[in-house]
Amino acid sequence: MKLLIIEDEKGLRDNITSYFNDDGNICESCVDLAGATDKLSNYDYDCVLLDIGLPDGEGFVILDFLKKHMKNEAVIIISARNSLDDKIKGLNIGADDYLTKPFHLAELKARVASVYRRKAANSNNNLVFNEITINLPGRAVEINNIPLVLTRKEYDMLLYFIANKGKVIAKNAIAEHLWGDEMDMHDNFDFIYTHIKNLRKKLLDAKCTDYLKSIYGIGYKFKAQ
Amino acid sequence: MKLSAHYNKANIIITLSVLFAGAVIYFFAINYIAKNQLDRNLIEEIDGVKDYIKLNQQLPKQVDFDEDQVIFVKTDRQNLQRRFFDTIYNNPKERKKEAGRAVSCLISLNGNNYETTIIVSREDTEYLVQIIGFITLILSIGLLLILFLTNRYILTGLWKSFYATLNEIKAFNVSDTKNFRLKQSKVDEFSELNKAVHIMSSRVKNDFQHLKQFTENASHEMLTPLAVITSKLDTLIQDETLKNYQFDQINDIYAAAGRLARLNQSLLLLVKIENNLIEDAEQINLDILISEKLKQFHELIFSMNIQVEKNLQNKQVLASKYLMDILFNNLFSNAIRHNTKNGKLIITLTDDKLIFQNSGGSTPLNPDKVFERFQKGNKSEGTGLGLALVKNICTLNNWTISYYYDNILHTFQIAL
Repeated sequence: MKLLIIEDEKGLRDNITSYFNDDGNICESCVDLAGATDKLSNYDYDCVLLDIGLPDGEGFVILDFLKKHMKNEAVIIISARNSLDDKIKGLNIGADDYLTKPFHLAELKARVASVYRRKAANSNNNLVFNEITINLPGRAVEINNIPLVLTRKEYDMLLYFIANKGKVIAKNAIAEHLWGDEMDMHDNFDFIYTHIKNLRKKLLDAKCTDYLKSIYGIGYKFKAQ
Repeated sequence: MKLSAHYNKANIIITLSVLFAGAVIYFFAINYIAKNQLDRNLIEEIDGVKDYIKLNQQLPKQVDFDEDQVIFVKTDRQNLQRRFFDTIYNNPKERKKEAGRAVSCLISLNGNNYETTIIVSREDTEYLVQIIGFITLILSIGLLLILFLTNRYILTGLWKSFYATLNEIKAFNVSDTKNFRLKQSKVDEFSELNKAVHIMSSRVKNDFQHLKQFTENASHEMLTPLAVITSKLDTLIQDETLKNYQFDQINDIYAAAGRLARLNQSLLLLVKIENNLIEDAEQINLDILISEKLKQFHELIFSMNIQVEKNLQNKQVLASKYLMDILFNNLFSNAIRHNTKNGKLIITLTDDKLIFQNSGGSTPLNPDKVFERFQKGNKSEGTGLGLALVKNICTLNNWTISYYYDNILHTFQIAL
């Protein structure tokens, strides 16, 4: 996947780049509107991560630019502004998703994967990871071609883990993904342990490799192999 | 009391006292003048009597005096000071007693001294005083009435533009984009007031816009570093050679960053609600929303093994879906966070009431302070803004929320 990161904050830009690059993606980045329009006029990308507050203007300009030039990049807005108006405006003029800062890199990766799959919308609606096959429109999971019944939360969790395979994901990132960040859980994320335990047990019972690994105190990792 | 009433009161008191004092002075002055006049007449009469005696060498007869009464009393006294005094006058025609004025002095005739007293009726002067008094009274009443009516109608008319301005000020909403409507007033003071209010309102609106901009920018500026912190942590934990104690430290940083982010969002939201900037009201079924939220919080409730009891009636309200989400998120997380293991949560929704009751700490909270910003229990890990948000959302919808501790249950009741 080829990504363009338009973000003026260097620390954030570097971390996003390194997080995505590990997975074999190609990430390019720029810091302002001028650089972004320059890159977008010359190259095609699969996905654009767009900050709204840029030094030389509002990121919405990029959405207009893409529309005007009939470009098909998926766009995820990453903004510090959690304003309903901005969200609606962004989604109305062509953004595919809106993520409010601060966010977890795992969340960003899951969103990118999701909009990329939606944009790609090719004949292949299946997400395949080794012996796990996920039929995305039908929300059905098969392990070695044997159907596996998962609850909604377990399904979401599996999708989230596969999108972030090979990465350590913090407990609070998982909780926020599944329950939303507006649910104030007072930093007590122990209850997700039960859910992960259940998912792992179901996968193991279906003779799936044990991908899920608990990392002491901090979270979980879905092994890439 | 209204200004016009204050003014009327002062006006009437002053007018009445001036009129009263005037009337008293008037009364005494007229009396004094009338008495002087009478006394002068009496002296003339006495002189007449003396002239008569000198001419005729005998006492005059009563008939010579018209209606005045003359009494001659022979006396041995050689000296008698002439004196005037009030007495009773017997009106021979009308056969009644009237107030009279008399003079008495010593007159000598043929070596004899007579104490002579002449009495005249005071009726005419009293009648004059009465007439004058009556006219004064009528004038006073008329004056009072006219003053009252003038104050009432003319003043009310004059104050009309003031009340128009007052209503404009009452309806003033700082977040409104439309400007203050100015009505021209003939009264200089009121036009000046209007001008001042106009200038003030535009300045306030300007400041408010700047403040809004500032809050948004500040939030942007704060959230971006937070995003950097979070992403750095996300990257840091990829290093699996980290020791456990290092993971513990990272966990704490995660928690602090998360709290800071929530705090920031809550503050922004609070400002927005207070300024009534969220306007997307729609019909919402509270019972359905509560059931959805129960599902959303199911795992948390389950992990603490809280018994949930719900009595929900169908109830629709017109409110912002976004704010209702926040309201219930806060009510639920509050009721779960401060609950005990194996505790209780009772949710009651009737046509006019929504009640959240949860078990928890055994000491009641301070009902006056519980909804204030940054008021939180010492064990609370929250932002301290949750209940302030709840209260503000309720106020925005004209609902009243109250807290009480009832039978070991902490109760939050919203009157819809």
